Amino acid sequence: MNKYDRITPEGTRDALFAECTLRRQIENRLNGLFTARGYSEIITPTLEFYDVFNRDAQPFPQEQMYKLTDAKGRLMVLRPDNTVPIARVCATRLRAAGLPLRLCYQQNIHVISPSLKGRDDEISQAGIELIGSDSRMADLEVVAAAIDALQACGEEYTLELGNAAFFRALMQQLSVSEELKETIRDCIEAKNYPALNDLLDTLPESDITKALRMLPRLFGGEEVFDKAAAICSGDAFRAILNELRSLWQAVTQFAGKERIKVDLGMMPRTDYYTGMILRGYLSGYGDEILSGGRYDNLIAEFGYDVPATGFAVNIDAVVKVLSKQAPVSPAAPQTSNVLIWAAKGCESEAVKAAQDLRAKGMVVEHSLTDTLEDAKKYAAAHGIATVLPIDISGTDCGKEV
Amino acid sequence: MQRPIRIALTKGRLEKDTVGMFEQLGLDCTAVREKGRKLILPVGDGSIEVVLAKANDVITYVEHGVCDLGVVGKDTILEMQGKFYELLDLGFGRCKFALAVKKGTDFYSGYGVKTIASKYPNVTRRFFEAKGMDVDIVKIEGSVELAPLLELSDGIVDIVETGTTLKENGLEVFEDVCPISARLIANTVSMKLRQQELEALISKIESYFANK
Repeated sequence: MNKYDRITPEGTRDALFAECTLRRQIENRLNGLFTARGYSEIITPTLEFYDVFNRDAQPFPQEQMYKLTDAKGRLMVLRPDNTVPIARVCATRLRAAGLPLRLCYQQNIHVISPSLKGRDDEISQAGIELIGSDSRMADLEVVAAAIDALQACGEEYTLELGNAAFFRALMQQLSVSEELKETIRDCIEAKNYPALNDLLDTLPESDITKALRMLPRLFGGEEVFDKAAAICSGDAFRAILNELRSLWQAVTQFAGKERIKVDLGMMPRTDYYTGMILRGYLSGYGDEILSGGRYDNLIAEFGYDVPATGFAVNIDAVVKVLSKQAPVSPAAPQTSNVLIWAAKGCESEAVKAAQDLRAKGMVVEHSLTDTLEDAKKYAAAHGIATVLPIDISGTDCGKEV
Repeated sequence: MQRPIRIALTKGRLEKDTVGMFEQLGLDCTAVREKGRKLILPVGDGSIEVVLAKANDVITYVEHGVCDLGVVGKDTILEMQGKFYELLDLGFGRCKFALAVKKGTDFYSGYGVKTIASKYPNVTRRFFEAKGMDVDIVKIEGSVELAPLLELSDGIVDIVETGTTLKENGLEVFEDVCPISARLIANTVSMKLRQQELEALISKIESYFANK
């Protein structure tokens, strides 16, 4: 018995009609936006070797990757991320190409999400990677593209900037075990104030612990920078703060202050980010829609030491938000303008006539009914305005072949 | 006009404690006190809405952002985990996770693999993983104290408040796992997109605790 032959695996689903149209629209909009900025598309395989994602920092927990083996018994995964394979391509086939490289992509990733949480396991992403520059202009270019991408997805967007280096700068001055550092990082990222305080209470009180206590609370608008400057005096911290502030100022010059926020407590554990981090939100969706940042060490892990920055948009999330705003009817296939009905023997004529009409830009459907009467009923039921019967015009018509 | 701030409350004791706290803060909770069978109820001037849910569901609703805030026990957070901000320790609903065994037994004696019964398999697994100890975990839905009495397990990992239930069944706490209390959690995006409203409410709650 085929128990599972009528359902899709958990975390996946079929997308029908209007939803597909919406999805393609978003994809095309984003793709147009990326190519207009000089980004070229690349496609990497859905299947990759496990080793590609088995990085030192363990950004991809093995229990969250779909794994299979190839014919030689080697471990493969369904790509859980798009940036790492692109880093691999840069370090190999694109090594000889001139820098900077501007690459864009539009492909799915697969992650095993916790069961029954209502999350997707297959996520379509569109994004860009700008490789070969650690300049401020490169960060700015990526942020500007992110803002355009968010705008293309909805008016009620918010973009948030942070910097992955804050944590390292503070932690350098704190002599505790790596394990404790990671726990502190988790508490800050989860804005878990009580646990963070408990942890820091076990350490001698210093400027650093004070700053760490404040860090998760430092999010919002421009006022955050002054608050941050007041809590920490470390040179490294100052430098990063000034860099972020100047980026924020540059961005708000063209994007306004209202939708551009900062969060100094953004410090994802499982990431390859080294500098600027960005996240984008749309009102009406409980998770981020866009995420990205600077990752200057990732490509070096593949043996090619070049800086890079980029972001990805979660297309599935955008589709969910947009279809909530303007609900799409679940069963509304595209309707045709003309229905062509062919009498017996006139089928070829009908195909030719349909080709002519399509060349004029019409959507033409062939009637599959035996009688013209049924064809008319079908047209009426499906909202097709014109029924075109083909029966006597062609010379071959009516002749039995 | 945006919808009211939605707070998911764990039905039962935490709900009562939270309502008590809200009333101390000057929020009108009449609708919650006289709720009947309704599950979504207005609080205060209508800028806040309370949703009554089971503990695990509080986390689910907050994770998905259909509720902005949630009040839930640390026990549920440790068992379920997930992506949300854990903003405040609300101080009420205090108890602890503990490993309990039959009175007078030494849990760690012998070479055999121990069996643990628990309603909280993830908490149990992590506790013993951290000790580098292999154990068999049996998930029990009801009164976990039965498992060692019926000799299904060597011990239990469960919430202990006063220890009376353990005592009456001839069990005792062998080792504490971690303390528990009610937490205020927030959806990560709501926290950013409705920062001012949420921070205003949160600092109200914080100052309530500071003055307590």
